[in-house]
Amino acid sequence: MAVFLQSLISGILIGGVYALIGIGLTLIFGVMRVINFAHGDILMVGMYLTYLIFTLLGIDPFVSVLITFPLMFLFGGFLQKVFINRVLDALAQNQILLTIGLGLIMSNTVMLIFTSDYKILTTSYSSATIKVGGGVSVSTPLLISFLITAAITAALYWFLLKTDTGQAIRATAQDRDAAQLMGINVKRMSIIAFGLGAALAGTAGALISPTYYIFPQVGSVFTLKAFVITVLGGMGSVVGATLGGVLIGITESMSAVYISSGWKDVVVFVLFLLVLLFKPSGLMGKSRT
Amino acid sequence: MRKHLLALGATLALSPCLMAQKIGVINSMSGPEAPIGENITNGIKLAEEDLKKKGVNLQLVWEDDTGKPQISMSAMEKLATRENVVGVVGPYTSACSNAVAKLAEKYHVPLLIPAAAKEEITRQGLAHVFRMNAPADKYASSLIDAATSLGKPRSIAFIYENTDFGTSTSKTAKDYVATKGIQVVADVSYPKGSADYRSTLAQIKSKNPDLVFMVSYVADAILLMRQSREVGLQPQAFLGAGAGFTTVEFAKERAISDNVISCTQWTDDVNWPGAKDFGARYKAKFGKEPTYHAACAYASMIIMAETAKASGGDRAKTRNALKAGKWNGIMGEVKFADYDGFTNQNNHHMLVQQIIAGKYETVLPAQFATKKAVYPFPKWK
Repeated sequence: MAVFLQSLISGILIGGVYALIGIGLTLIFGVMRVINFAHGDILMVGMYLTYLIFTLLGIDPFVSVLITFPLMFLFGGFLQKVFINRVLDALAQNQILLTIGLGLIMSNTVMLIFTSDYKILTTSYSSATIKVGGGVSVSTPLLISFLITAAITAALYWFLLKTDTGQAIRATAQDRDAAQLMGINVKRMSIIAFGLGAALAGTAGALISPTYYIFPQVGSVFTLKAFVITVLGGMGSVVGATLGGVLIGITESMSAVYISSGWKDVVVFVLFLLVLLFKPSGLMGKSRT
Repeated sequence: MRKHLLALGATLALSPCLMAQKIGVINSMSGPEAPIGENITNGIKLAEEDLKKKGVNLQLVWEDDTGKPQISMSAMEKLATRENVVGVVGPYTSACSNAVAKLAEKYHVPLLIPAAAKEEITRQGLAHVFRMNAPADKYASSLIDAATSLGKPRSIAFIYENTDFGTSTSKTAKDYVATKGIQVVADVSYPKGSADYRSTLAQIKSKNPDLVFMVSYVADAILLMRQSREVGLQPQAFLGAGAGFTTVEFAKERAISDNVISCTQWTDDVNWPGAKDFGARYKAKFGKEPTYHAACAYASMIIMAETAKASGGDRAKTRNALKAGKWNGIMGEVKFADYDGFTNQNNHHMLVQQIIAGKYETVLPAQFATKKAVYPFPKWK
C-alpha cells in the first residue's frame, strides 16, 4: 500500500510539471495552429536561465520564477514576432521545420556557451522530504513546484476566462478570421500567446531544475512528452493539457512499479494510442473541421 | 627535380622512424557522453605530449562519434580506408566500441579500446581488438566481493539503466551473486534520463535489501541517490558500478554521495609507476582531477603509438606486437591475454573506493587502501 501511495503521489506531483509544459504547447497550438517543436528547447533555456540566476546571483530557483517568467515571455514574444508570424499561412511542414530549426539553434548555442557538461543545481532542500506517515514521503522541492504549478495554472485560467486580453486570445483560437473581423489584433494575440507558452515552458524548466539535471539536449525529452500530453488532452485545450499531464505522470509512475520501469514509456504510448483510437480528438478536444 | 622528389619520397617511405605515426582516435566529444569523453580527449593529449618528448612523431586523426554507434562506424571506415591509420584508440561507450570492433576486424586495423565495459566486445575472438580496461564482470565481482568481505549481506536489489553498459554489468553481477548465495530481491532497469525514480525506489525499499547495486552514467547517479534519500532507502551498502558514481561531480554532492561504494579502474593515489605524476600533471594542465577514463586513454595511446613506431607503421606487425607485448605504466602491468573466453583482454585489477568526507578513498584491495571502509551505510540524516 505504501508503495502504491508513494507512486501515486510522485506521479501526481511530477504530472503537475508535465501539465505546465503541455499547457504552454497547447496554448500556442490553439491560437496559431503551429506545432512548436522548439518547446523542449525553450524549457531548456528556462533551465539555464534558472541555473545562471542561481549561481551568479544566488537566487533560489523557486523565487527566480519571478524573473524567469517575464524574461521567457519576452523571449517567446520575440520568437513569435520575428520568426513564427512569418509562416502562419505557410504549409504545416514548413512551420514544423522552422520550429525544429529554432530548437536546434537554441540547443547548440547553449552548448557553445556552457559546453555539454551536466549541470546540477544543489539547493539545501534538493533531497529533502516531508514524511506523510505509513512509510510515504513527499519530496519537498517537487511539492513546492507542484504548488507553484497549480497557482500558475489557476492564474492562467483566470486570465483566459475573465480578462479582455484572455477572451481575445480565446476568440483568436476559436476563429482567427472572425476574431480579426471583430477588431481583435490577432497578430498581437499571437505574440502574447507564444510569449505565454514560452513563459510556461521556461517556468517548468525552472521548477524542474532543483530535482533534475541540466544539459543542452535536455529539451528533446520534454518536447516529445509535451506533444503526447497535448494530443492526449486534445490539441488546443488547456483543461485537457492539465489532465493529460497529470495522467501521464501517474501512468509513468505506476507502470514503473507494477510493470517495469524499462517499459514505462511503452505503457504511456499504448495509453496514448488507445485514447486516439477511441477519442481521436483527445480527451477534451473538440473535433474541428 | 621530380626524380629527387621521388627519391626523397622513397627514402621517407623506407625510413619509418622519421615518418609520423598516423593513429586514429574515435571518441564522444559532443553529445550526451561528452563530459566523460572530455577526460579521454585530455588523457590522449597528455600522451601525445609525452610521446613527443620520447621522440615518437605522432599524427592523430580525431573523430567525434557523438556517442552514436552508426557515427562511430562511419568514423572507423574513414580512418581505415581513407586516412590509412596504423591503429585506432577508442571509442568510449560500449555500444560504439562493440559496433566498431567488427569493422576493425574487417579492415585489419588494430583497435585499442580504452574504457568500454561490455564484456562481449573482447569475447568474439576478434584478433585486432584489444581492451585496456577491465570489463563489466570485474566491476560486479569486485564490488560484491568488497561487500561480502565487509559484512554479511543476504539480499541485493539491482537498478540499472537499460543500455548495453547497464544490462551487461548487472547481468554479470546477478550471475555472480548467485554463486555467493545472495538473493536477488529486485531487478529493475530504467530508461536513461527519467525525472522520477521515486516509485521504483519505494518499491525496492519495500523489499528491504541488504545491498543496492546501481549502474548509471553521470547525472542519473546523482538523481538516484537523491531520491533514495527521499524515500528513505537504507541498505547496508550502496554499490555504484561505473561511470556515474566515480565522477568529481558526484563526490561533490556530499549529502547524498558520502559512503557510497564504487569501483574504478584507476586512481591517482595507487602505487602504479607514474600514476601520481600523471594525476598532478593532468590537474596542472586541465584544472580538473583526472578520471579513470583519462588514465586508460593515456596508457592506451602510449602503448598504441610506441608499438606502431616499433612496428614501422605496419598494421599486421603492430597487431602482433600488441599481442606479444608487456608494459608497466600508470595502469599497472598491462598485457593483452586470452583467458575465460576473452581475447586480447588486459586482466586489469579493479580498485574499490568509497566516498569519505567528499573524497574518493581507496578501501580495497588492502595493499592500495588509503582509508578503512565505512560499513554498514550510516543512517540518512
